[in-house]
Amino acid sequence: MIQIRGLRKWFGSLPVLRGVDLDIADGEVVALIGRSGCGKTTLLRCINFLEEYDGGDIRLDGEALWYRDDAARGRRRVSEAEARRMRQTMGIVFQQYNLFPHMTVLENVVLGPRFSQHVPAAEAEALGRRLLTRVGLDAKISAYPAQLSGGQQQRVAIARALAMRPKILLFDEVTSALDPELVGEVEDVIRALLSDRIMMVLVTHALGFAREIAHRIAYLAEGTIVELGTPAEILDRPKDPTLKEFLRRMR
Amino acid sequence: MTFARWIAIYGPTYVTGLGWTAMTALGAALGAIGWGCVLLLLRLSGPGPARAVDAYVQLFRNTPVLLPIYLLYFGLPLVGLPWPAVICGGLALVLQNGAYVAEILRGGLKAIDRVQFDAARSIGLSPWNTFRKVLLPQVLVYSIPSLGNQVVLLVKDTSLLSAITVTELTMQAKLLTEQTGAAYEAFVVVALLYLLLVSATEITFRAAHRAVRWH
Amino acid sequence: MGGVPPGSFALLLHGAAVSLLLAAVAIAGGTVFAIALATLAFSRLAVVRAVYGLYVYVVRGTPLLVLALLVFYALPALDLRTGPYIAGTLVLVLYVGALFAEVFRGGVLAIPRPQWESARSLGLPPFAKFRKVIAPLVTRYTLPPYVNVCVMTVKASSVLSIISVWELTLAAREIIERTFAVFTILGMAAALYFVMCFGLDRLGRRLERHLLRRGFVGERA
Repeated sequence: MIQIRGLRKWFGSLPVLRGVDLDIADGEVVALIGRSGCGKTTLLRCINFLEEYDGGDIRLDGEALWYRDDAARGRRRVSEAEARRMRQTMGIVFQQYNLFPHMTVLENVVLGPRFSQHVPAAEAEALGRRLLTRVGLDAKISAYPAQLSGGQQQRVAIARALAMRPKILLFDEVTSALDPELVGEVEDVIRALLSDRIMMVLVTHALGFAREIAHRIAYLAEGTIVELGTPAEILDRPKDPTLKEFLRRMR
Repeated sequence: MTFARWIAIYGPTYVTGLGWTAMTALGAALGAIGWGCVLLLLRLSGPGPARAVDAYVQLFRNTPVLLPIYLLYFGLPLVGLPWPAVICGGLALVLQNGAYVAEILRGGLKAIDRVQFDAARSIGLSPWNTFRKVLLPQVLVYSIPSLGNQVVLLVKDTSLLSAITVTELTMQAKLLTEQTGAAYEAFVVVALLYLLLVSATEITFRAAHRAVRWH
Repeated sequence: MGGVPPGSFALLLHGAAVSLLLAAVAIAGGTVFAIALATLAFSRLAVVRAVYGLYVYVVRGTPLLVLALLVFYALPALDLRTGPYIAGTLVLVLYVGALFAEVFRGGVLAIPRPQWESARSLGLPPFAKFRKVIAPLVTRYTLPPYVNVCVMTVKASSVLSIISVWELTLAAREIIERTFAVFTILGMAAALYFVMCFGLDRLGRRLERHLLRRGFVGERA
């Protein structure tokens, strides 16, 4: 499980996260919603340490991630090598896919296992083929990203994240850059992952999808979690006035 | 003497020269691109090395290539390294052109989307693997046209090795002129052969650029 | 290793002055020649454009040294003392002329279409159009690459040392062949070239900034 306690971050003098607390149980799916600039994407990037943060801590199965505190030297970030080891327990899928354009679909998926986890080539390739079959792209194994639609690229990105055999998957608005008719195929792939009972955190604007897939929804505003509950609690019986306003505008 | 007869008699001389020129240019081009990649890696590895690379690049951009050629040819024997002239000259071309290649690759770096670094970090790639597998292949491909221009300049600069006794094309033409007095014949053929080499270089790089399927 | 003979630096300095003079003549001559040459590139006659293309192709595809040797050997009427200087300067002008011409051609092509159209719509006569519209715009687009070619000219002048034009590189070579003070002498020569080339580059940048302030050239494209 993941435990986030008192997470704080500033961009210069501007606070973007003002003390976020969130627990995610094994197999749980949590959706983060809120208007743009509320800090939900920053929170996701902090979990994967793509952003450094200024206070608070994140634990995965009891192990403190990214920073060490000791009496003598105070708070300091873990070494680059340790951060790499920790990152391999997580997968992240970006809004803009971020595939490597000079590699084929299979090479994209296999890169992490091969060079970060030192999985033997044949084994990594078998894993890659299996995952690409799973996201329905076994026919595109030797295509380059530029030859794929946005939806297909995003499915490759999901396979790439899964190839690290992560304990937790992070999704950063993975359908917002897609044409409407391509959203469904990506949502189908994410839906199919539910049977893996893997932890997932989704930043999303698609409230219908969040309601369907998430066990809990967290509403963020001005850098904190203002309301947290089941989809029915958050979407149907909101208490916070700004959340009510947010939902009214989203309809 | 007719042109055909000239070719019939001195053809083999030109072939020898062409061989030396082509081999030197090929070796120096590969060396310069490799050295340019090393300089790029150094530049990315911290502010100290980056300043050193900048100074190196500025020095070589603002001095003529004949100076490093003479430096290695006359200087290496003095420090106990009596290497053959073609090695000294080739090395000088590598040092000089490597500086330009490093600048070209730095330009190519700008074409790479910043978010790819996020992707590389998120799958736990080490800095070395990120450079080797993600950065460098893309930078090299984006830079193919500019690298082609640089290699053309390098091919032409091999002619300067005639000044340190390398028996490449220009040297052969000089020897033929002194031997026969027929400067026009000697040098026009050599000029045509250089045009051929330069055109072949350009065609090769254009084909390489087209052969990359992913962009 | 042999000591550095006294007076070496003065000799190199003298050589540098000759290099600078050669480059200055080549830049001036090459620029004039290039303007004439570049007009060929915009001729209505395909044949004329082809002549331009061929000239640039040959110059860009042949080493400067080969052309220099060709002229040097092929003009036997030249006096042995002044011969290399005349042959060398001539070749340098013809050579950098092609490079400058390509710079100018690129500058003309970079002028945005609307500028041509507005010049035409004003009904400007050809000379006024050139002086008031084309020349300032070309200056604006070509100043940085023009300065690059100028720096290249200084460096290229060193090639003439091989056809026995006495300038900085030949001065250095003569000293090191006599004394084996290779590192010191070549270091001094490199420093002198660096001062000339880097100085020229800085001068170009200052000129550009100055023109920008004067409003003569607008934003860079």
